Amino acid sequence: MKKHQTGSVIILLLILVWLLIPLAVTIIYSLFQNWTGIIPRGFSLKAYVEIFSDPAFLTALGRTVLICIIPILITILLVLLALFVTELFFPGLERIVQIICMIPYTIQGVILSVSILSMYVANKTFLGNRLVMLIGAYCIIILPYIYQGIRNGMRAVNMPVLIEAAEMLGSSRIYAYFRIIVPNIISSVIVSSLLAVGIIFGDYVLVRNLDGSAFQNIQIYLYQAMKSDSMKSSAVFVVIMAVTFAISAVVLKTDAADVNPDKRRTAEYRNMR
Amino acid sequence: MKNRKYLYLLALLPFMVVAFMYEIIPLIMVVINSFQSDTGGGFTLENYKTVSGTLLYQMAITNSLKISLISAGIGILIAFLGARAVMNVHSRFRRVFMTILNMVSNFAGIPLAFAYMILLGNAGIIVQLGRTMGWDALANYNLYTSNGLAMVYVYFQIPLSTLLLIPAFNAVRKEWKEAAMLLGSGSTGFWLKVGIPVLMPSILDTFSILFANALAAYATVYAIMMNSISLLPIQIAGCFVGEVKIQRGLGGALSVTMMLIMVIMILLTNVISKRFQKGVVKK
Repeated sequence: MKKHQTGSVIILLLILVWLLIPLAVTIIYSLFQNWTGIIPRGFSLKAYVEIFSDPAFLTALGRTVLICIIPILITILLVLLALFVTELFFPGLERIVQIICMIPYTIQGVILSVSILSMYVANKTFLGNRLVMLIGAYCIIILPYIYQGIRNGMRAVNMPVLIEAAEMLGSSRIYAYFRIIVPNIISSVIVSSLLAVGIIFGDYVLVRNLDGSAFQNIQIYLYQAMKSDSMKSSAVFVVIMAVTFAISAVVLKTDAADVNPDKRRTAEYRNMR
Repeated sequence: MKNRKYLYLLALLPFMVVAFMYEIIPLIMVVINSFQSDTGGGFTLENYKTVSGTLLYQMAITNSLKISLISAGIGILIAFLGARAVMNVHSRFRRVFMTILNMVSNFAGIPLAFAYMILLGNAGIIVQLGRTMGWDALANYNLYTSNGLAMVYVYFQIPLSTLLLIPAFNAVRKEWKEAAMLLGSGSTGFWLKVGIPVLMPSILDTFSILFANALAAYATVYAIMMNSISLLPIQIAGCFVGEVKIQRGLGGALSVTMMLIMVIMILLTNVISKRFQKGVVKK
């Protein structure tokens, strides 16, 4: 048995080394000015100073944060309203809402973006605005996570009983839903929002196809920097990965008791390519 | 009272409007467009003829199939070894391993492409290392070919596939293994005759997810290769973005082709998976 364990440890260590080498190398790369031989030389934080004093980088960061928040707020509101109707009044419609929310799991960023683009590109109203298209597309891409998060939260608090209790005490259903249920499931809403932030933060496909390079988010910034200055872009890389890992660490920590975390993460993964 | 109930349906309206505007109708339009000519006119199969008759698109289909199958296959193999090993190690190490997998599973798209260019690009660190050390395999590594690119695909398949397979290994009971050992089977024999057949449905499911994952990968490839490789997602995006005139019909036909490949793969793995489940029940 002991021998068995050593073999297993070696396999896992090999996998870890394989997975961590690209990360480690790029981090080291961002910290040294000269790495043409085997050993990197000239430690410096110059690249970081440079990007954080570059207004274009800071705007890109700001844009990314902004484009994360708007679709997430919209989607949370839409799903809360929709579930309010299906959970309390029309349980028969629940299935339809569920299917609509799950379709984005299976369609890919490329197909979703080109289908939205070809539909609205010639539109003369605000619908033809590229930013509106992008926000619409993000709302759809994050729909499965927000839906599942809210749905799981509702299951966990045993919603029918809570609503019934509130009604017996004389409150209306609307009041019970928005003042009792929603505050109670806020933690699952936050976790799913963070997952959504992770997706939008890592997105390149949708923003590139829908906005070209007009809307320079952090991924586009990295893509453009990549061609000119690799030390600077590795610093951008480190910033992006630090944010991504921080988000997933928080999600992992709060999400540990989640019913089916694997499934969620699978889909998240797929949409980010 | 009854009327008031229907009034609540209004709250469902915003959700439905957004879902139809940005999900349902655009997708239906893609399918409809694929049967319409870009120059006008009614129903036509012309776009599908172009897809099946043009070398560029034939290559896109075969390249996409090839790279998806290869990377999913290698991904499954490594995941199998990894997930099996996870079951044998101390629980603390297991947790560290799983945490790192979870973190790395978010490492994708442009950043991943960039890291691989630093590592294995023309002047990449490892390529240089290979040159100094005289290791030809590394020194001559070319990231910018479809085989070189497959490495990057394999990279993003590993965390996903391992995370997906680990729960399945919980179903392989220690008792079975002990029983097989008592009956004189070795470890390899056990896995070939008992372990793998039991796991087969999960392995196939994971395989089809990996396949879909690779088939649709766009950002990573685009960042490394630009348009110099013909893959389905690249060709699809090419029909809509950057061209003077959008080719709705052709792009639609390519999109439908990609979705069909995905559906066929899911059906295929489901059919094979059912076979294995039946076999297990019979025994």
